[in-house]
Amino acid sequence: MSSPDELARDTPPPYKRRRTGDTPSPRSSSPDILARDPDDFRQPPRRRSRSPTSTNQSRSNSFSPEPQQQLTPPRELPKPNYKARLVLHGHTKAVSQVRISPNGRFIASASADATVKIWDAATGAHMDTLVGHMAGVSCVAWTPDSNTLASGSDDKAIRLWDRVTGRPKTTARKAGQEMAPLRGHHNYIHCLAFSPKGNILASGSYDEAVFLWDVRAGRLMRSLPAHSDPVSGIDFCRDGTLVVSCSTDGLIRVWDTSTGQCLRTLVHEDNPAVTNVCFSPNGRFVLAFNLDNCIRLWDYVSGSVKKTYQGHCNKSFAIGGCFGVLDGEAFIASASEDGDVLLWDVKSKEVLQRVHGHEGVCFWVDVHGETMVTAGQDGSVKVYRHLRHSGEINGNGTKTESKAPGQGMLQGELPIRQDDVKVEDAISV
Amino acid sequence: MNLLLSDDYLLQDYPESMTSTIRSGHATMLRFNRTGDYLASGRVDGTVVVWDLETMGVALKMRGHNKSITFLSWSRCGRYLLSTCQGWKAILWDLQTGHRHREVRFRAPAYMAELHPWNHNLFVASLFEEQPLLVDISEPVDVKRVLPSAPKRPNADSDIALKEKQAKEDAKQMTTSAIWTATGDHIIAGTSKGKLNIIDAKTLEIIYSEKICTGVITTMRITSSGRDLLVNSQDRIIRTFRIPNLAVPDLDPDTIQLPLEHKFQDVVNKLSWNHVTFSATGEYVAASTYNNHELYVWERNHGSLVCMLKDPKEEQGVIEWHPSRPLLAACGLETGRIYIWSVISPQKWSALAPDFAEVEENVEYMEREDEFDIYAQEEIHRRRLDAEDEDVDVLTADPTKDGEDLANFRMPILFNLGESDSEDEFVAVSTGTMRRRSPGESQADLSAGAESAAPVRKKAGARGGKGKKK
Repeated sequence: MSSPDELARDTPPPYKRRRTGDTPSPRSSSPDILARDPDDFRQPPRRRSRSPTSTNQSRSNSFSPEPQQQLTPPRELPKPNYKARLVLHGHTKAVSQVRISPNGRFIASASADATVKIWDAATGAHMDTLVGHMAGVSCVAWTPDSNTLASGSDDKAIRLWDRVTGRPKTTARKAGQEMAPLRGHHNYIHCLAFSPKGNILASGSYDEAVFLWDVRAGRLMRSLPAHSDPVSGIDFCRDGTLVVSCSTDGLIRVWDTSTGQCLRTLVHEDNPAVTNVCFSPNGRFVLAFNLDNCIRLWDYVSGSVKKTYQGHCNKSFAIGGCFGVLDGEAFIASASEDGDVLLWDVKSKEVLQRVHGHEGVCFWVDVHGETMVTAGQDGSVKVYRHLRHSGEINGNGTKTESKAPGQGMLQGELPIRQDDVKVEDAISV
Repeated sequence: MNLLLSDDYLLQDYPESMTSTIRSGHATMLRFNRTGDYLASGRVDGTVVVWDLETMGVALKMRGHNKSITFLSWSRCGRYLLSTCQGWKAILWDLQTGHRHREVRFRAPAYMAELHPWNHNLFVASLFEEQPLLVDISEPVDVKRVLPSAPKRPNADSDIALKEKQAKEDAKQMTTSAIWTATGDHIIAGTSKGKLNIIDAKTLEIIYSEKICTGVITTMRITSSGRDLLVNSQDRIIRTFRIPNLAVPDLDPDTIQLPLEHKFQDVVNKLSWNHVTFSATGEYVAASTYNNHELYVWERNHGSLVCMLKDPKEEQGVIEWHPSRPLLAACGLETGRIYIWSVISPQKWSALAPDFAEVEENVEYMEREDEFDIYAQEEIHRRRLDAEDEDVDVLTADPTKDGEDLANFRMPILFNLGESDSEDEFVAVSTGTMRRRSPGESQADLSAGAESAAPVRKKAGARGGKGKKK
């Protein structure tokens, strides 16, 4: 086990997201102000990342879609076209992680200012600030039912929060007493993941161990002596039988949830530090974010790299990303240290879109259907929406019906309001 | 998904050692759900406890019965659970809410009540000293239809004396066990005289009967495929039968045959069997023994005994085999603990270090032609990237069964069960330290559970909790 000082030998510690964010953000006001600034997303500068196809939009259609438009739906190659829509201010320090709830209705952001904030994904309204951690929060995770939130912090504790009340989870047995935080890690908590059933919480820490917690009882179920460096990323596969963890020691390990045994270790020849991992939506591949400006897609069964995605900048921070699905086509989204967000096609490895995100480092991006959120070192959270190229309004609820089965996991109800979209279209004229 | 990486299929497919013990009160009945991620246990005090096998913790506790639970039955979707108790009722629980969905009262204690394999609003109940019932609860008022127990007789227009004798005999026939066939079209019933009846679920007529043993039939089970029947009776013999295909369109009741496959018994000790179960595929048969600590496991191919599991110093009651894994759960009669046997797969050391491989014997290493050639770093990198031309599919899930599982009911996660709930015998003193609960305390919990099972149910959880803390 290494102490924080040991880890800090190359300053700043390369993989810790929120450490560098300790300088207060210049734009911060009081943290609880509803931070939606209508002018913010009307400004032309934010539109500079528009992809060329979006200029094809017909003006009249973007104002009012006419019925006959739906008779000839456009058959374009689905290409992500995310446009910045909302900027959420409120955190006083860098935002280390941001995650959309599985039902797509809420956004949780974890920040170095020791708070977690919950936002409405549709309006950007600030819903709650979860205060209780004694140090910066590095990670958050939603339960599958979107009603509970777990947060992991540098105070070595994991807290479970009730999304509805904004308070720590309570146990009825002790007459409304709040659940004690999950303690057991000997160092900073760096990553969290819930199992698909929501009964197990996996946590990775600077103490180099992976812990599996029984969520119901708040009890440590199993501790895996996982790595020889801080555990930087963790994820469950879709049926919950596998856990993947990664570390800056360059190893990616796949664990059996039920036995706690290591089933596979993946190492790249160059042994670059791995700062984040996630399973593909079908659970057959593992996406690993390396500190050599590469994202690698591993087939963990054969133990080989299938794809390498490049173009972003990732040398010193634990930057996050995820898989996204639009119209049955998968893409990979990742933040970049130059503040941008990049989206790649999974098969061709081409960059599909590059969106400007934040001033300074963009730490995290999460995609849920047509909504994308990013977290930045500048203390803000940004919300993006996919804009379809035709005159059709992207918020049309009926648009989502043509999805192939099996992708329902990624696309729940889309929290986009019609009027929201009209505002956006009006600007693009 | 972990099956892709494990070679557990090389391991033996029956349990070999006890891997864990769980306890919540005094368990008397066990049942796995169809996917095998939850285990329901019924307690002496009438509480039904649902265990999460992944965490080995309590997922749900339901209070509503006030007598010992005799039988549990899961619906196919895993959302509903039917429990019967010695007090004359059955409760269908909705696990989404944790509350009772329906309650059905009988005129006698129930041995068992099994839900229809496809319809959770229909079940068959066998009652003590009463005729079995087919209960339909799809309407607000439940419809009970009486099933026959008297065996079907060949058209005998024989003399009156014989008929009277038969009528007398028939009056003594009581159904002690009744289960559904896999399709749910027929009910297989066993009687107190060792007769086996196949009842058509639509016409409620017995289409086939045969005397298969001399004692009372105590347990009957079928495999998930529905082709094999396992019967335990008081004549100390466990029998397996092949179930004929009853789904053929022009089924002639007179041609039905139920061939006996195996008889399992202990000829030396003349042991009698408490409870029996099939393994996941039906390949094995396991039984708990009366007045004895062992569990016997036979394999069905040759009918030979493969192992005896004898870890706990306690007689075992109900046993259950996991629907997919080599895992066996049994509850101890004396303490009511639930013991779990399974296989421990060894850690593969090569999994920890990818540059090592485990080989069976020495392998002569063939050097690649260009293995020690030196290329520029960029060249290697470029080649590597060029080699990544494979088509990958990150979305399409493996179509085998897990798509179905995901569509299944997902049980809500409750946070209000308390930390030491799954281990009633231990009390958390401080972080990481536990102390064994003194007998008086656990007694308090038991009595609290029993009293809270009275008709006023809403305070049950709170009162149970208070009792525990005393």
